[in-house]
Amino acid sequence: MIELLTKKLLNTNLEDPDLLLGTERYKSNKILPEANVIKIGGQSFMDRGRKAVFPLIEEIKENLPKHQMIIGTGAGTRARHAYSVGIDMGMPTGVLGLLGTFVSIQNAKMIHYLLADHGIPYIEPGGFSQLPLYLKERNAAIFFGMPPYTYWQRNPEIGKIPPYRTDTGCYLISETYGTKNMIYIKDEKGLYTNDPKKDKNAKFIPKITAGELMERDLDDVVVERSVIEMMTSAKNGRQIQIINGMEKGNLTKALNGEHVGTIITSN
Amino acid sequence: MENKHHNHIDSLYMRESLLDKKVMAIGEGSSTFKMLPYVHIVKIGASSFIDKGREATYPVVDKMREILKKEKLVISTGGGARSKHLFSVALDLGMPTGVLAQLAGEDALGNAHILGTLLSPEGVIAIPPESIGHLLPLFLQAAPGVIYAGMPPYSIWEHPSKKGNIPSHRTDSGAIILAETFGFKTVTLVKDVDGLYDKDPKEFKDAKFIDKINVNELEKMNLKTLPFNRVVIDILRNNKSCTHFQVVNGNNPDLIEDSINGKHVGSIIHNDLYEG
Repeated sequence: MIELLTKKLLNTNLEDPDLLLGTERYKSNKILPEANVIKIGGQSFMDRGRKAVFPLIEEIKENLPKHQMIIGTGAGTRARHAYSVGIDMGMPTGVLGLLGTFVSIQNAKMIHYLLADHGIPYIEPGGFSQLPLYLKERNAAIFFGMPPYTYWQRNPEIGKIPPYRTDTGCYLISETYGTKNMIYIKDEKGLYTNDPKKDKNAKFIPKITAGELMERDLDDVVVERSVIEMMTSAKNGRQIQIINGMEKGNLTKALNGEHVGTIITSN
Repeated sequence: MENKHHNHIDSLYMRESLLDKKVMAIGEGSSTFKMLPYVHIVKIGASSFIDKGREATYPVVDKMREILKKEKLVISTGGGARSKHLFSVALDLGMPTGVLAQLAGEDALGNAHILGTLLSPEGVIAIPPESIGHLLPLFLQAAPGVIYAGMPPYSIWEHPSKKGNIPSHRTDSGAIILAETFGFKTVTLVKDVDGLYDKDPKEFKDAKFIDKINVNELEKMNLKTLPFNRVVIDILRNNKSCTHFQVVNGNNPDLIEDSINGKHVGSIIHNDLYEG
C-alpha cells in the first residue's frame, strides 16, 4: 500500500482532489489521547488579576494528580492596545501577530510562575518535543497560545487584526496531538446569540455544531471564527467546550467530560 | 457592570470583543507600511528543477546570478519529491497533518541549502527558518539576496486540510504571505509549465492556457489541478499589498527576469485590488 501511495504522490498534482481525498483513509494516530488542552483567556481571565486567576490555579493544582493538562494562554488587553497602536502606525497583519504573541508569552510566563512550585514547565514552540515527557512526569506544561506564524500570519477577510490568534493556536495543538478535550476558560458560560455583556436578551446556546454556527453568522462569537471554520475539517479535534472559569468547579467538571458550558462539535 | 472588574488600558479596542464583526473591520482601508518594497521574491519549484538535477537547475541558477547583480531577491524553494515521499511514509505511519507540515520543512531546508551552496559566490546563502523573518531587512542590506526554506513556519500548527491529510500551506503559500507582510515588489513562482491551464497540460494536449485571471473567477472554475497550492486562492483574495503573482516557465530562464521587470510572460493570478 505504501508503494502505491508513494507512486501516486510522486506522479499526481498535489492539489488533485481525488488524490487528497484518498489520503483520508490514513487515520492519524492520536499522539496524546489522555491529555487535555486548556486555554486560559487573556482579557476574560488574566487581566482580572488574582481574584479570577488564583482560584483557577488552585483548581488546576487539584486536578494535577488526575488529569494531563497542556495549558495555553490568551493575550487580552495589552494585545488590543498593541493592535490599536500598530494599526495606526501602518503595521501589516504579520507584525500585529507578533505583537499579540509577545503578550500571550507574558501571560504564559505568569501562569508558569504560579505553577512553578508544582514543577510545571513553560515551553516554547521549539520545545514541544519535550511535551510528552513533561506530561508523563508532571501532568502539565504551559505554552503561549498564539500559533507561531510570525511574519506568515494571513490577512483577515476584513480589517487587519490577525485572524489566527490564541484560541486557534490552542485548538491546533489539540487537533494535531489528538487530545481528549479542548477546553476554553472564559468569563462567560459559553456561547450566546449576542455578546451577553452588552445585550441582556442574548440567549445561551448549550450545544451547536460548527456548521450550524457558521450558518447563523452571529455578529459576535465567544471563540475565534477560524476555530469554528477549522473544526469543519477537523480530523481529531472534533469537539471543544467553552466554560465559565469564574465558577469554581467548572474546570474539574469539564475535565471529567461533563457538559458545563457550550459544546461545539464538528458535526 | 461586568466591565468595572476589568483592568483596561484605553485604546481603540477596549471593552470590545475582537470577535465582533464591527470591531474586526477597524483598520480596513487604512494604509500599511511597506517594509521592503524594492525586493522581489522568486520561488523555484523543487519538483520542476532541483529534483531534475544539474541540467534543469543550473540554467535557472545562472539566471539568478545575473539578476542578483541588479535586483534584491528573496529566493525560496520547496521539498519536491522528498516531501512527497515523506508524506507517503508519514501518512502510512499515521502522522497527523501538523506533523507532515513540520517534517516537510526539513526537505525544503535541504533544497534551500543546495541553492545556497550554488549561490555562495554571490554571497547568497540559505537562512535558517527561525532567522528569516526578523533579520530579513538586515540580510538584504548586506547581501544581494537570501534563500529560505519556503514552508511557512506553521509546523504542528498547520490547519486541518479541507480535503485529506496533506498540509495545505506549502511553499507557494509561504511566498505569497511573506510578500504581503513585507510589501515585496513582485512574486514569481518558477515552474516547468508555462503557467495556469484549465487542465493539467502534462496530461491533456487540449488544455487551454489562462494568461490572466482573478482569484474569484479561478475559484469558481474549481480546477482539478493547479500549478500552486490551492489555499493561495484564499490568501490572495484578502491580500492588500501583494495583489498578484505570476507563474512562469523556468525552462526559459529569461522569463524569470521578465517577470521581475513586470512583464506579462506567464499566468498572472490577481485579486480585486490589482491594477494592471
